[in-house]
Formats: sequence, C-alpha cells, structure tokens
Amino acid sequence: MITPNPPQRALRLHRELDRVWGRPAGWRGILTSVNHSELGLRFMVTAFVFFAIAGCLAMLIRAQLATPGGAFLDTALYNQFFTMHGSLMMFLFAIPMLEGLGMYLLPKMLGSRDLAFPRLSALGWWCYLFGGLIILSALVAGVAPDGGWFMYTPLSSKTYSPGINADVWLLGVTFVEISALAAAVEITVTILRMRAPRMKLTEMPLFAWYMLGTSAMMLVGFPPLILASMLLEIERAFDWPFFDVTRGGDPLLWQHLFWLFGHPEVYIIFLPAAGAISTILPVMCRTKIMGYGAIVAAVLGLVFLSFGLWVHHMFTVGIPHMALAFFSAASALVAVPTAVQIFAWIGTIWQGRPEMRLPMLHLMGFFSTFVMGGLTGVMLAIVPFNWQAHDTAFVTAHLHYVLIGGFVFPMMAAAVYWMPLFTGRAAVRGLGPTAFWLILIGFHGTFFIMHLTGLLGMPRRIDVYPDNSEWIWTNLVSSFFGFVMAAGFALFALDLLLQILFGERTRRDPWQADTLEWAMPMPAPSYNIASLPFPGQSALQLARGEGLLPGAPRGRRETLVVDAISGAPRHIAVLPGNSALPIVTAAVIGGFVLLMLFGFYPLAPFGLAAIGVTVWQWHKFMGSQSDEPPIEAAPGVSLPVNHSVPDGLARTGLTCLLIANGTFFTCYLFAVGFLSVIAPGWPAPESTIGTLPAGTLAAVLILILIAASGLARFPLATGSTVALPLLLLGLGVTGGLAMLLDDPTRHARDALRAAGLGYVALHCAIAALFALLCLVQRRDGRLAEGRVAAWPIWRAWQDFTLATTLILVLLIAAQEIL
Amino acid sequence: MSWPLRALLGPTLWAVAFAVIYAAHGIGCARGWPAYQAPVGDLHHFTMILLWLLAVGAASAILWRAPRGNDTSDRIIRAGGWIGLAATILTLFPVLGLTSCGATG
Repeated sequence: MITPNPPQRALRLHRELDRVWGRPAGWRGILTSVNHSELGLRFMVTAFVFFAIAGCLAMLIRAQLATPGGAFLDTALYNQFFTMHGSLMMFLFAIPMLEGLGMYLLPKMLGSRDLAFPRLSALGWWCYLFGGLIILSALVAGVAPDGGWFMYTPLSSKTYSPGINADVWLLGVTFVEISALAAAVEITVTILRMRAPRMKLTEMPLFAWYMLGTSAMMLVGFPPLILASMLLEIERAFDWPFFDVTRGGDPLLWQHLFWLFGHPEVYIIFLPAAGAISTILPVMCRTKIMGYGAIVAAVLGLVFLSFGLWVHHMFTVGIPHMALAFFSAASALVAVPTAVQIFAWIGTIWQGRPEMRLPMLHLMGFFSTFVMGGLTGVMLAIVPFNWQAHDTAFVTAHLHYVLIGGFVFPMMAAAVYWMPLFTGRAAVRGLGPTAFWLILIGFHGTFFIMHLTGLLGMPRRIDVYPDNSEWIWTNLVSSFFGFVMAAGFALFALDLLLQILFGERTRRDPWQADTLEWAMPMPAPSYNIASLPFPGQSALQLARGEGLLPGAPRGRRETLVVDAISGAPRHIAVLPGNSALPIVTAAVIGGFVLLMLFGFYPLAPFGLAAIGVTVWQWHKFMGSQSDEPPIEAAPGVSLPVNHSVPDGLARTGLTCLLIANGTFFTCYLFAVGFLSVIAPGWPAPESTIGTLPAGTLAAVLILILIAASGLARFPLATGSTVALPLLLLGLGVTGGLAMLLDDPTRHARDALRAAGLGYVALHCAIAALFALLCLVQRRDGRLAEGRVAAWPIWRAWQDFTLATTLILVLLIAAQEIL
Repeated sequence: MSWPLRALLGPTLWAVAFAVIYAAHGIGCARGWPAYQAPVGDLHHFTMILLWLLAVGAASAILWRAPRGNDTSDRIIRAGGWIGLAATILTLFPVLGLTSCGATG
C-alpha cells in the first residue's frame, strides 16, 4: 500500500516541472529537444509527409497504367517510381509512424514522464530524417532505386544495376533502420521497466502488450535485413561474391534474408494498429475489451509464428515439396491468432453500445478491408494457388488490402481519436466522414478489381501492357478509383490541419476513455503528469502532486523504474536533458553514409573514427561522482538513484541490443550454412591460409578474450587497466588474421570469413572502448564503491564478444578440417 | 522460472524445432540422405520424424506442467503451451508423408 504525498498547488508544480522538462524556444530548442511527445509527433508528421509523397508516386503509376501502352512515364522512371512507392511506404511511412505513435503514447499510458533513453529517441528521429532526405534527393536527381522494394539480386548487383540507384536503397534504408532499432530498444525497456508503480505486466493496457510484441519483433526482424543490405553493399563496392552464383554465392540467400525480415515486417506494422483498435474500440462501444488474456496469447502467437512464414514469398523458386508444406502450413496457421483478435473485437462490439463516431467509422473500414486481405492471404498460403497468382496484380491487391486495411485505416482511427490529446483541440465537423467514405470507396474500387486483373494474368511491375480487352477496363477502373482514394486522403489531411488551426479548445478526456493518457492536461505538457500514478488516483490528485515523485524539487529529470513483472518500484532514474549530441551524431553517421554512397572508400575509416569520437561524448552525462541518499518518492517509499544500482535501464537496454546483435550473428551463421549446403560452386577452392599461423593467432585471440572476460569480473572494473591493452592487442591479432585470409573476391566462403573477421574486430574495438570508459569512470570517481557506472555493460559486452568469436573460430576450424 | 519465460517456453520450443527440422531437411537433401535406409523408411524421413516426435513430446510436457490456475498470468502460460504444441504438430506434420527432396519450379 502506497501512502499519497500531501497535496500541493498544481500551478506551482507545473511551473517547476516545465522548467526542468521543457526545452528552449526557437531553433536551439528544436535541434536539442529529447522530449518523447515532441519526437513522437515529429515521427508521425514526417511519416505522413513521406506517405503523401509515396501516394503521389502511386497516382503517377496509376496514370501510366490507366491505358495500355501508356506514354506518361518511360520505363526507367516507372521502375524508380514503383520502387520508391514501396520503399517509402514500408520504410519511411509505416515503421516510423508506428514508432512515433508508440513513443508519444506509451509513457503517458504507462504513467511515466519520458521514454527510457530520451537522447536515443532524438538520434532515431534525426537518422530517419537524414536517411529519408538522402533517398528523396536521389528521387529528385533521377537516380532513385529502381529494382523493386525488395531489391532482388542479381538485378540489384553491380552488373545489372551499375549506377548508385541500388546503393541509395541499401545505404539509405540501413541508415533509417538505425532509428527502427533505437526505437525498438527504447520501447521494450520503457514497457518493461517504466510503468506506473504496481502495474503488473499482466494488467497493463493492451496497446502496451501490442507494442511490446512489435518492439521484440523489430529487435529480431530487422537484423536479417541489415545483414543482407551490408553484404550486398559490400559485394557491390568491393566485389565480395556473397550473391554471385559463379563464385559460390547464391541470389536465394538475399531472398531468404530479405523475407526473414519482410514477412515479420507485415506483423510489425499490423500489431501496433491492432493495439490502437483494442484501445479505441471499447471506448467507441462504451464497454470493456472482451478476452484480454486471449488477445495477449494471440499477440504471443503472432510474434512467434510470423517468423515461420517467410518462404511463402519464395514458393516458385524451386524449393522441395516438403519445405513448401512446412511454410504453407505455418502460413495458414497464422490466421488463427489473427482470427482470435477479430472475434474478440466483434464480441466487444456485440456486448457494447457502438457509437458511429469518426474513429468508429475508420474501424469499420478496417474490418471490411482487413478481413478480405486475410482471406486472400490464406489463398496465397496454399502452394498451387500461389504458383498461379505469383507476381501478378492479385498479390499487389492482397498486400494493399492487408496493409491499408491492417494499418492505414486503424492509424486514421488513431489519428482522429488522439488528435485532441496531440493538439488540445476538438475536430472541425464535416470533412472527416466525407474523407472516410471517399477513401473507403476509392480503396475498394481500386484494389478489389485488381484481384481480377491479377487472376486474368497481368504481371506486377510492368509499365505497358498489350491491348488486351480483359485488362483494359479493370486497369481503367483501378486508376479512376485510385484518384478518388487520393482525394479522400487529401481531405483527411485537410481535416486534421483545420483541427490544428481552427479547432475549439477541447475538454479533458473528450471520449470518456479510461486509459491513463487522458489523465494528462491537453495538450500533454513536457513532463506528462505532475506526479506518477498508483492505483485508485484521480487526474486531479495527480495534478496536485499526490502521486509519486511530485514536481522536480532537485531540478533534474527524475522518473520511476519498476520491476519488469510485478511493477514494484525499484529505483529512480535520472534522465538526460536537452542535448545537441543526437543531431551531431546523426549528421556524422550521415556523412559516413554519403562517403560510402559516392565511393570515397579510402575516407570511410575517417568517417567511422568520427562516429566513434562523437559516440564517446554520450557518456559524459552518465553517472555521479558522489554517493546520493535514497529519494523519498512517497511517504515511506524511499528508492535509490540509478547510479548505484546494477540492474538499471542501461543494462536492460544492452540486453535488448545484444538480442538484436545475436540475431544478426545467427543470420550470418545461416548465410554460411545456406551457401555451403545449397549454393552451387561448392566446395570452395583449396584454402591457402596457413593452418599453423592462423590457428596460433586464433588461439591467442580466444585466450585474450577469455582473459578480458575474466578481468571484467574484477570488483568495480579494476581489471580494466590490464584489459584495455590486452584488447588492443586482440585488435592487432585480428589484423594479423586478416593478412592471412584468402582473397575475399575469390569465393563466397572467403568473403564470409573476411566479413566474420570484420565483425570480431568491431566487437573487440567496442569492448576496448567499454574498458576505457570504465577506466575513465574509475579515475573521475563515477565508478566506485556503490556506484557501478558502465561496469555491468562492459562485462556483458565482453562475454558476448567472447562467445561469438569462439563460435566463429570453431566454424572456420570445422570448415578447414571437414 | 519467471513468468514471461514460462509463457515463452512453448513458442520458443516450436521455433527451435522448426529451425532444426528445416535445417535437417536442407542438409539431408544436399547430402543425399534419402538414399540411405533407416530402421523406418529412409534416413532423411527417419531423422526428421524422430526430431518431430521429440519436439511434440517436449511441447506436450511443457503443456502438462503448465499451472492450472485461473488468473490471467496462468492462463497466458497455458496458452503459450498450447501455441507451442499446436504449431509443432501442424507446421511440421508434413515430415510424415511427403517426398522429402522433390521440387517443382
């Protein structure tokens, strides 16, 4: 039982908190803000801009296809436009939009003041913006990617795509993915560790469950694509033949890695939208959600099963029947947890009193669209049908039903539902329903008929088609309704703009919802709530500081960290304030990307060094040079500050990062296994690496890493003094091993070994940086008795480096012996 | 074992079984296992069926040991067990019947 704090004057608390959590006005504030509300909104607005650009490209595509032999676009431009339409929608609209919504809402719904790593949120947004601008600049310059949004090799190899078009995609998208991984770490840690006190994991809002599933999937789903992009970029830049079938590579490796990301991506996009539905629908129906436990189980099922479907995108490449059957069965099975949610939502509508307000209209649009997309998905999961419909307009229609039905309609519902919270203003009546009907009619008019176009045999991605009477009218109908849908989206955007500019001030909680975000003032202030809630407190009590940690009496950004499962208060986290480091770091990373893009490879190491120097600056805020007494968050609830606890937010964040990193490494092992078992051109040519010198150096490297792992266990990182030179020696040993390797351009096996050695060298370098950090922190007093600083982080990283290096060395040894 | 780990145990077992059997299928086809005789059928089918039965047994054991309580956390653990068992049976049952390495395309 927690005793409330004594009430205080709400206005005084507001001023005190805003002084600490707010940001300076003007450009300085814009460039340095790390506030989750502002960054969440920036993500959503930027994503909407990219949606509008990608939508315009779609209209150009429809204009071209309205008649056979269309002369509106030439083939080269058409290829760029359909590639950019898909890439912008998937990477620069859908993912950032869901990240933005999660970033904005989660701390408010969970009763926290910010996300776990505010500077990481800002870094993510700047990386997204800069990466997006690089890709858009390529479009303007006429050198945009043109190999389709899934960039299949060998079309995207240097031989068949000699310009920089493919490099823009590989480097630009990877740059943007930094923001996705940053958001995934951020969201996972926030949900697990920054809930309101006593909010158990099994009692948190369903939106948080969905976002937890999403962020976990992003941690595991994005590394395969990052690996694939890096391998293809290295192949294009340095001729290492990972995908070149004449030298032991295989284009199917790209397809496997891409779809290992690509299929879970569909669920990564769908889950947050489903979270929004599960939040909004009960409010619109004046009831509680039906089947909370069943929905959580369905999320759990989707998170796992969605990783067992990727091969259904590759049913026609000549895979053995049994493997086809595995993936066909998994693809059909995934419909079950999706159906569980649909029935829970229908049950919720049935038990409630639905009110057909604007968010509910969009939810009805979701039901009528997504269920049809799901059914055509089950059709495509069946192998014989898939063979018939593969690469036809039927697949284009199916994916739009799933993505617009499963993401865009729920996001529109979410936008109109949470706009009062974003802006503090009520909707302007009139335009919203008109926009909805135009979008719904336009969408089904465009894509329902497209199923038929596909069944009549029209392939995807062709810019002209023969004067075939069966295809002419269906394409014309799709193009006509495509423009109707575009008009609807324009009207929707205008409606939101009018609400921002002219909407009347709205009262608090206009929908009479019961989730915590509506307990905030509207629009939500920089600090969210004046005191952190525990069960049974009203919005007024929280505003008067009767919850935990009222105000900001110590003049710094403090919030509560809880136990991941029970929600019991554990310690107080002191979060960093506004900083220019995120934008500077993103700019330096962007500089490195541009060096690679324009082929200035000799300068790239300087770019990497600059990134290292910039990232090094991030530690300066962390830690404390003196012992701090526990803070009384509420009468009788005294909690330590994060500087003195070993299981702080950074440790949880590193665990997430290591899960993503481990997935990356596992995908690398998959690549080695796949090529050596399946690819033609194996066994590889005789290896010329000297067994004795290479074996000796590898053994020395392993011994160094074992010693470093042991030293990292010395109390208070006292071993860092010895570990640092040892790790630098280890780096030198990796350099020696690199000299012994076979020419990586000779065969895929040699290229994979070189790539693996690069991975080990990078990890040794980062381990050395962590050891150096511990050394510095010991010298300046931030690492001392009772103050753990970076020590747990170094230890975990050191162990991970040892484990992956050991696996790699054993793998190469096995290749040599067998 | 903590609550989330217990809830994740069933689906994790399925993920591991799916990956291992898919890998065994690829390696077996590449190395010509269908040509070797085994106690039941050929070596390829025998290996995969054995792995599958082990996985089904392990998934059943996880479900058997799931808590019987009726609060949300217990029900989610049980649901995780059912997901693991159902997915292991339904996605991998093709090991029983189909030709292992024949392809069309």
